[in-house]
Amino acid sequence: MTGTLLKVVAQLVLLLMLAPLVSGLIKTLKARLQMRRGPGLLQPYSDIYKLLRKGMVIPNTASWLFSATPYVVFLATLLAGLMAPMVAADTPIGLFGGVLAVVYLLGLGRFFVALSGLDAGSPFGGLGSSREMTVSALAEPTLMLAVFTVAIGAGSTSLAEIARVAINQQWRFLAPSQVLAFAALFLVLIAETGRIPVDNPATHLELTMIHEAMILEYSGPYLALIEWAASIKQLVLMTLMINVFWPFGLSTAWSLSGVWAGLGWLALKLLILSCTVVLVETANAKMRLFRVPELMAVAFTLGALALISTFLF
Amino acid sequence: MDLLHNPEFGDKLVTLMAAFVLVLQIAMVGQRSLVMNIRLFAAQSFLLGAIAGSIAWYNHAPHIFIAAGMTILLKAILVPIVLERLVDRIDIHHEIAPILNTPLSIMISGGLTLVAYLVGESFYHPEAGAASLGHNTLAVAISVFLIGFFMMINRRKALTQVLALLTLENGIFLAATCLTYGMPLIVELGVFFDVLVAVLVLGILVYRIRESFESMDVSKLRRLRG
Repeated sequence: MTGTLLKVVAQLVLLLMLAPLVSGLIKTLKARLQMRRGPGLLQPYSDIYKLLRKGMVIPNTASWLFSATPYVVFLATLLAGLMAPMVAADTPIGLFGGVLAVVYLLGLGRFFVALSGLDAGSPFGGLGSSREMTVSALAEPTLMLAVFTVAIGAGSTSLAEIARVAINQQWRFLAPSQVLAFAALFLVLIAETGRIPVDNPATHLELTMIHEAMILEYSGPYLALIEWAASIKQLVLMTLMINVFWPFGLSTAWSLSGVWAGLGWLALKLLILSCTVVLVETANAKMRLFRVPELMAVAFTLGALALISTFLF
Repeated sequence: MDLLHNPEFGDKLVTLMAAFVLVLQIAMVGQRSLVMNIRLFAAQSFLLGAIAGSIAWYNHAPHIFIAAGMTILLKAILVPIVLERLVDRIDIHHEIAPILNTPLSIMISGGLTLVAYLVGESFYHPEAGAASLGHNTLAVAISVFLIGFFMMINRRKALTQVLALLTLENGIFLAATCLTYGMPLIVELGVFFDVLVAVLVLGILVYRIRESFESMDVSKLRRLRG
């Protein structure tokens, strides 16, 4: 019992502390690649600290939904994070749900953010919500296809079991189905975290913004919670990709030495994945909104091919 | 250096590269810019050469090395250069105008892949052992072939149709290499010569169409009807 509690607390701390660092890392790397100095690595922590101490403005038209959303999003994302394997294949609350629960907990958070974007009554909010729903309606089937590909390979939808199978078959990630599923998931990662070909995370003043448009009315601690949740969501998706597809160095059960090694490998692999994201973000221009469905169609086809090739290769 | 002599690893490598060939083919359906399309074709041909090279290495069939080298030299380097110069000369960098829109085209390509897999599966005989190596590459080859056909039908511009024809040829080459471990060398050489001449002739044809109609749109050729 205390063991489970310890695991939950350890992973909770890891999620809360590591997520802003990954966001900061991506920002810094991106700035360096574009020959700018950029914000420091620890800037997201200072941002969250600053926002948490500030007062906030709530629109007159907003209902209870507006105040409930930050908590719902934050908690749902954390819960999803606890179900994903991070430093060991064994997940702290894996009994409560597998990969489908993770996908739909993230979906619940998105649903509430979109609702509160409408709730605040500003035209930008509605714009952002409708765009977010369009993109996610296209990204979700792809995510499910990629997830099913992996789950069929492992014979289970429990993430702990998937990671364990992946550890035992080190070369499995070279199978075509895994490569295609990884590519599809990478496109989903870019769409879901609002990265450049789909959305620009560095702007609050653009007519084409998606995520920023929905949360435009939020300020103070609520904004801090939503931003923090967004970075945790990014961390969860990245960890899922890492631990399901390249589980080197992941230990099967929690032990002191295993956790430290797992943490080191996780940091290294997060760095590599962040570098890839940064390269994609720097090398591409933002797409026109009507082009986004094309990108998602590519992702969907990759996912479908991945699923087909599990049966045939 | 065990991997270099392990046929199982070779099989995995070939399958992986074949999967990338398929992905590039679908990327070509989705890509709008003409120059990008030519580069994707070059990348696809390079992978094809690499597949032929690994089949030659792992099955100890040195004559396929020649086919692999010629694929890389001709289809990954020479033909793309010729085509890019043609694009410069006729000065059309416009986006490709397909008849069906891109998401639908990509979905159809996915469907064609499924058909190809169903066909390819009937050739799968695991009891034949090592002799059936490359059966799954056959499915990839058929889908590259079908998607190449679809691309030819779906595009209006003459130059993009030439590209589609070339990818179709890539599909045939993939099938030939994977199933038979290479046709006789003289046949291969004939095919390569054929492709080169076809590209040159079609290049001149595209240039003439552009000169006389001020456009590469082949649907304008209807005016020739008596």
